[in-house]
Order: sequence, then structure tokens, then C-alpha cells
Amino acid sequence: MLRVAGLTRRFGDHLALDDVTFDVVPGRMTGFVGANGAGKTTTMRIILGVLAANAGEVRWNGELLTQEVRRDVGYMPEERGLYPKMKIRDQLVFFGRLHGLSPDRALERTDKLLERLGLAERATDALETLSLGNQQRVQIAAALVHEPIALVLDEPFSGLDPLAVDAMVDLLREEVTAEVPVLFSSHQLDLVERLCDDLVVLSRGKVVAAGSVADLSAGSSTTYRLVVDGDAGWLRDVRGIEVRDVAGGTALFDVLDGAVEQKILQEALSRGPVRQFGPERVALSDVFREATR
Amino acid sequence: MNVLDRPWALIAEREISTKLRDKTFIGSTLVMLFIVMVAVILPAILAGKGGADKIAVIDDGGAKVVQQASTTAGGDGYELVRASDRPAAEKLVSDGDAKAALLPAAGGYTVVGKDHVDSGIESALREAAATVGMETNASKAGLTPAQLHSGTKVDVQLLKPGPLPDLVSQFVNIGLALVFYMTALGFGMMIAQSVVQEKESRVVEILAAAVPIRSLLWGKVLGNTVLALSQIVVIAAASLIGLLATDQADILEVVAPVAGWFVVFFVLGFVALAGLWAVAGSLATRQEDLGSTTLPGQMILMIPFFFSVFAGSSAKTVASFVPIASSMSMPGRMLTEDVPIWQPLVAIALLLGATVLIVRLGARLYERTLLQTGRRLGYREALALETS
Repeated sequence: MLRVAGLTRRFGDHLALDDVTFDVVPGRMTGFVGANGAGKTTTMRIILGVLAANAGEVRWNGELLTQEVRRDVGYMPEERGLYPKMKIRDQLVFFGRLHGLSPDRALERTDKLLERLGLAERATDALETLSLGNQQRVQIAAALVHEPIALVLDEPFSGLDPLAVDAMVDLLREEVTAEVPVLFSSHQLDLVERLCDDLVVLSRGKVVAAGSVADLSAGSSTTYRLVVDGDAGWLRDVRGIEVRDVAGGTALFDVLDGAVEQKILQEALSRGPVRQFGPERVALSDVFREATR
Repeated sequence: MNVLDRPWALIAEREISTKLRDKTFIGSTLVMLFIVMVAVILPAILAGKGGADKIAVIDDGGAKVVQQASTTAGGDGYELVRASDRPAAEKLVSDGDAKAALLPAAGGYTVVGKDHVDSGIESALREAAATVGMETNASKAGLTPAQLHSGTKVDVQLLKPGPLPDLVSQFVNIGLALVFYMTALGFGMMIAQSVVQEKESRVVEILAAAVPIRSLLWGKVLGNTVLALSQIVVIAAASLIGLLATDQADILEVVAPVAGWFVVFFVLGFVALAGLWAVAGSLATRQEDLGSTTLPGQMILMIPFFFSVFAGSSAKTVASFVPIASSMSMPGRMLTEDVPIWQPLVAIALLLGATVLIVRLGARLYERTLLQTGRRLGYREALALETS
């Protein structure tokens, strides 16, 4: 498990990170969201040892993360970076070896990844001759080539079309085994909602929400939605609930009293067909807005 | 766990293999190779592979003088060209078919040249005319040539002959300084560029996450030192072939003992500078910044270079002890003067000390500035930075 504990970092007078603490659990994808300047990239750079923290620590399976262990982490920086003029196969082999693979193993992994990404026939092309989407794939491959023990991906999907995102997600799911914790930041909340198991929300350098996506987006689980064929105005007369909104056959209400929602369902069915009934899930964007307000 | 014992070796390997595929690098090496070959072969061609100088005469007296001049001149001597009359001889000279013409005049001879008369030819002819004239006059007075010349012979003996003739040693001095200057500057700029390119393309962040920043610096310095030395070895081999092909192999006897010293001075000076150039690259954030961040490096090279080329000999002696400057002037001095052995040893000790200092300072600056991608930094600013 990757644990970030009490990270604090100042840039001059600006407090960029303030006691940031969270866990990235193996086998689960943890989404890292927050507005621009919230401190996501700073946190990730500290995890990778590219930046030092003023206080706090990064732990790997309970021990302080050392340079040796850190070398086995896969990292995709926010600002993409590979050698523009280097051939992509040479490049991936180099990064594999830099992370400690033997030359043979690095070549084997490189060819497998290039094959998997559909770039096998471009293996001897310079990176800069590839389309941006393909460069992005090579970048992901560079983070995966050494079979990382953990992955830290800063905005891995920015600038990709939906199909490319799907392909990339498939690759991640295939490459990332159950022991590997994955932390990735993103602005695309719908994507985070779809892909992530856990969520950490950062706002102005502080963690304002953290937990599983299911828990967070369950929101206040007492809000229900009812859709019927007729008019739902009768709900206003029911006791034990507070109606938020009624528009024709669609109503949104909070349950104040234990089992009252089952009675409402029976009542609704007795009046006519029920099209939809259940607790209202909160969109992640609302969670995000709520948390960072 | 994955293991990588020597990350700097991998960085150096990448540095070398990238450069060897770089067309500009290969191209500039070939150009240098060409220039060196020309420099080696051209003097040999100019120095009389075109045959003996021709001198036109119109009578037997003139012919005798030219023959006399030819035997005393040594080398290829002079070639005699007979012309039918004065205008014909003058025409040979003005057409360039003869270097000069020796024509009879009142009380002796006139040497006719086109726009000037080569001073060597003039003095050779002057001396020969005097000898021939005196011998003729002497035999009229009843003396044999041997009697005439007895007690007049002057020989030159050098107590401490210098290793090389004056002009050649000038050339060698400048040449050796130039080799260091060009190589250090060329590779220096390449090091700075490759550092800033890694910053610009942000690949440095992945590198820094994977290996210690110092390993990045060592790898770069090592890779480029190996490249620079190999380039010099290739060029040295080419000039060797050039010297052998033009029968100038005797120079080698003088050069060979100094070659080892040159390598030591070269490597130490180069490594010190390479550290500085890497810092120049890490202070910049874009290629355009290099102009200003590499300025100190250029100065550190340029000032000693011009000093070692143009300064007087005592100033040169001082320069040959000053670190960096010594890389440019000590090998040259050893080649052209008799330098006691303690001098290069002291110079190397000083250079070694300076190199260690510069490289350590450079490594510190490099660590602090490499990941600063916001804007260009100054040297003073970088020294004040804390580690990030």
C-alpha cells in the first residue's frame, strides 16, 4: 500500500500542500481530483521524490519509500516528456533499463507493449513523427515498461479521444495486477467516476474528501427519486418526507422517517405504473463542487 | 525488485549512442577531419613537392652561378633554364615559368623577378655569384680555390637544439590549444543543449524519479568525455596517416612522448568544463537561454585560449600552471621547449584540485536547478537556492 502522510509543502509564502494524508490501496484505482492549483501535481512529484516536502512522508508497505523502491514505481508526469528525436523502441528499452530491467527483458517488454498498443510497425520511428495520441500511448508504455509495483499517473487521459481513452483503460486493466496501487489525477470527473474505485478530493492543498467512489457518490442516501405515469403531486400530503421538487410525474424527496419510502412505493403502485423508484445517486461533479466549495 | 547498479553508465551509453546517430555530430567530425588532413598535407605540398625553383639564364657565366647556388642551397636546389636572349628570359619570369632570371650586368649580375624576388633565391644567388667571381679572380691571381677559401669556413653548432623549428613550433602551440578549445567548446555546447533539451521535453522528471540526479550528471560528463577523446583519437590517427603519406614522419618522434601528457591535461580540463556546461544547461529552461547561461563557460575557454596563443613566453609559462589554461598551453610548451618534469606534474596537481572543486560545485548547482522549469536562473541565484 502506498501511504501519503502529513505532506506539507511551501513555495515561498504560498502553502501548496497542507497536511495531505491518504492511502492508495493495491488493486484499486484511486482518482485524484481537485481544481487547478489544488496541489495534485505537487503531491505526485513529492511521491516520486522529484520534489522534497517540508514535512510529512511517503510510505510503501509501512516503510519509508526509498530511492531503490521508488525506481520501481511507474510515473507519468503531467507535462509529457520523452526524447523527441529518439526511436520509440530505443526509448522504451532505455526507460526499462533505467528502471532496472536487464537489456533482454527491457526489449521483450518493449516489443510486447508496442505490439499491444498497435505501434509495432512504428518501432524505429522517432517519437516526434508520431501523432499526439500515439505519443501519449508511448508515454503510458514508458510508465509501464518495467512492470511497476505502483503507478502514479498525472492526467493520463488528457487530450485523448473517447476511443483512445477506452484503449488506454483496457491496457491499464490488463497490465496492472491486483498488487499494484494506482493513483491518477484527472479533470474529467465522468472518467474518474467510471474508472476509479477510490477518490481523493484536494482543495487548496487540503484533502477535503476521501473514500470509495460508491460511498462518496451515494451522497445523502436519504434522497429518493420517483417517476410515475400520472401526476405525483399527492406526495406533498405524505407525512415523514420532505418533498424537494415535483414536476408532473417526477418527484424528488428526502425521507425523514425510517421505513416510509416502502409505503410510498406501495401507494404509488396502487395509483398506476411506476417507472422509476430509488435512492438518488449524486453525480461526482456535485460531490466535487460540494467538497471544494 | 529490479536492480540497476550503475545508472550513470546507462546514461553515458545513451548519450554516446545518440550522438553517434546524430548527423550534425558526424558531419562536424568529418569537417574537422578534413581540415586537419588539409593542414597536415598542404604544407608538405607547398614546401617544394612542386620541384626545384627554376631560374633563367642567358649565358654560361650565369649558368655556372646557378649551378653553384644549387649545390650550396641543399634540398632540391635550383633548376637551370636557358633562354636565348634577355627579352626571352624576362618573358619566362613574367609568365611565371621561372622564379627569377640571372642576367649579366656591368660589374656582375642582375636578378630579375616578377613582382618580387624570393629572399632565399636572392641570397643564394648573391653568395654564389660572389664565390664564382672570387674563384675566377683568384685563379687569375694564381690562387687555387682551396687556397682562396682556407680559413673562411663558418659552421653553426647548437648547444641546445630545440625540438622543432621556430615556425613549426608556433603552429604546434596554436594547434594544440585550438584542439582543446574547439573540442571543449563544441562538446560543451552539446552537453548544455542535451541538458536543456531534457528540461524542455520534461523527460528530466522521469529520469529524476528513476535515478539520482548526480548519476545523470556523471553519465553525461562521462559519455561526452569518451566521445571527445575518441574524436581526438580519430583525428590524431588521420593526421598520423597524413604525416606518413607525406614523408613527415620525423615530426612524430617529437610529438609521441608528449601525447600521453596531452591526454591527461585534456581529460582533466574537459571534465571540469563539462561539469560547468551541464550547469549552464540546467540553469536554462529553453534553448534560447543558453546564450546567456553559457557565457561564463565561453569566457573560461576563450580568455586562456587567446592568452596561450598570443601571450609572450613568460606569460605563457604562468598560464601553463593555471587550471584550464594549462590544458591549452602546457602540452604545447612541452612540445616546443624543454620543460622540466616537475612543471607539468605541478600543473596537473593544480588542475586536478580545480577539477574536483568545479565538478563538486557543479553537481550541487545541477541538483538544485535541474528541476526548476519555471524560468532561467542566474548563477548567483542558483547558489542561493536550497535543494528542492
